[in-house]
Amino acid sequence: MTVIETRGLSRTFESRVRPRGFAASLKSIVKPEKRIVNAVRGIDLEVEAGEVLAFLGPNGAGKSTTIKMLTGILHPSGGTARVLGLDPARDRMKLAMGIGTVFGQKSQLWYHLPASDSFRLLGAVYEIDDATLARRTGELVERFALAPYLETPIRKLSLGERVRCEIAASLLHKPRILFLDEPTIGLDVVAKREVRVLLDELRREDGVTIFLTSHDIGDIEKVCKRAIIIHHGTVVVDESMKELKHRALKRKRVGVKWAGPADSSLPGLEPLKHTEDAAKYEVDTTKHRLEDVIKVLADRGEIVDLTVEDEPLEDIIAAIFASRSEEEAHVAAGARA
Amino acid sequence: MRVASTLRFLGRAFAVNAKAVLEYRVNFFLQVFGMMLNNAAFAVFWKVLIDRTGGVGGYGFSDIMFVWAVSSTAFGLAHVVAGNIRSISRMVREGELDVYLLQPRDVWLNVVCSRTIVSAWGDFAYGFIVLALMPGVGLERWLMFLAIIPAAALVFAAAFSAAETLAFWLGDSQGISGALQEFLLSFSLYPETIFDPGMRWIFYTLVPSAFVAYVPLAAWRGLDWGAVGIVWAAALAWLLLTRALFRAGLKRYESGNKMGARI
Repeated sequence: MTVIETRGLSRTFESRVRPRGFAASLKSIVKPEKRIVNAVRGIDLEVEAGEVLAFLGPNGAGKSTTIKMLTGILHPSGGTARVLGLDPARDRMKLAMGIGTVFGQKSQLWYHLPASDSFRLLGAVYEIDDATLARRTGELVERFALAPYLETPIRKLSLGERVRCEIAASLLHKPRILFLDEPTIGLDVVAKREVRVLLDELRREDGVTIFLTSHDIGDIEKVCKRAIIIHHGTVVVDESMKELKHRALKRKRVGVKWAGPADSSLPGLEPLKHTEDAAKYEVDTTKHRLEDVIKVLADRGEIVDLTVEDEPLEDIIAAIFASRSEEEAHVAAGARA
Repeated sequence: MRVASTLRFLGRAFAVNAKAVLEYRVNFFLQVFGMMLNNAAFAVFWKVLIDRTGGVGGYGFSDIMFVWAVSSTAFGLAHVVAGNIRSISRMVREGELDVYLLQPRDVWLNVVCSRTIVSAWGDFAYGFIVLALMPGVGLERWLMFLAIIPAAALVFAAAFSAAETLAFWLGDSQGISGALQEFLLSFSLYPETIFDPGMRWIFYTLVPSAFVAYVPLAAWRGLDWGAVGIVWAAALAWLLLTRALFRAGLKRYESGNKMGARI
């Protein structure tokens, strides 16, 4: 069952161009110059119930704007969006009953009060009766291990504890889709791992559809099954995490340590870094057979350690961003010519 | 069902807001008593003035005190229950409406009722104290006062919100809303008759001081419940206008990425 569907979803913003100089400033009062920014340009999406989706892109790619249109915060400038069969801009209140949101930068909990007070208020916001709210709070307190700090004012919690409370708060009304925008921003490694485990549990046990944006590749690798990459407001990649990782198979990182000094230069292959007895190479397996490379390395001296790794996902995604920027620069240069 | 649900939500929001400000009890009581003292200083000023002049614009000391009691308590109630009525412009400009748009509630109501202003509790209490100290206030006048206060508070809340809501179009409406707030409060604390008849129409339209001071005084003087009805009608008209304005403005909302917490 499709829970999110968009066709040509677009959003433009109008901004005033700040004039330079006093005369231009005076002129701009009467006749302001405006610039149109296309934040999202015709996004087509289909997300099935229970999917766990990573929505990726560099800063300014249009991720947050898209999420805001899907959740009813922003009205689209063009195209259509249906979330749980509803138009987010028109049926905002109905939709809010079926979705949960965690925005890493914006809290829905009262800063000076314990989470329990915010939960009680959210119960009234989502029209949950007191008995159901008590039962649901109990379940979430247990699952998220909130008991030790449920009655502590939010301002006194660590960021990790606060995020756990935020996620629990977003689940009080049992949403069918959970939108998370940078939920692990600022968290330490332990807290990040805890949040990822919780999200994975939600997917497995409750079948919640998860729509996640994050700059943290760990979040994506550990939690998501599908990745959509957007750049300059358009979808550039939409494939499963397996397919995305498969791109890594084309590039391998080979590290070698010899028993003594050895010649690290290989024909047609520059080391990424090297010392007199060690080197690291990036091998494009479409140009060089891995077996041949290892044979040559073994010929250079006695090998005491050898590692072969996939290219990190972070590098793959960065390469996709970079290649899109280059393509767009070429198109722009062509258009100017 | 929806009305009951909204009342339950408003009750919980009020309880949470009150609890949040009572986290800092000393500050709370200092601000409340400070505001009452501030208001009391004006009472002394008016007492001295009216003792020397015998009255201002046809108002005696008790009239002035009643106008102060209504304005202060209604202004206080508006800010105690709906403390964000003067923050809408900033919230729109800084993209702080996101959290409210994500909840299944009327956005305007949710926004304005998600905060209480501490000093306003002092304003709210002040009117009751003034009335309690006024000689000869019988049960019917007390009931009239209680009937007027929510309507006058609605006028304050709706008028302040309407000016703040212009931020959706202007980007920043704090200048306009600041001016409206000053005018509305200042005009409502002085006798209507000292103003030029040519400008009095403003008090019944753009700057609705008439409905938080002059019409309530007319009702009070003549025990005229019809005048109370007029205050309620004005309050509902302002409320409808504000909500229509806010709803239209919301379509222009551009959000933002500012870090934020609810306090």
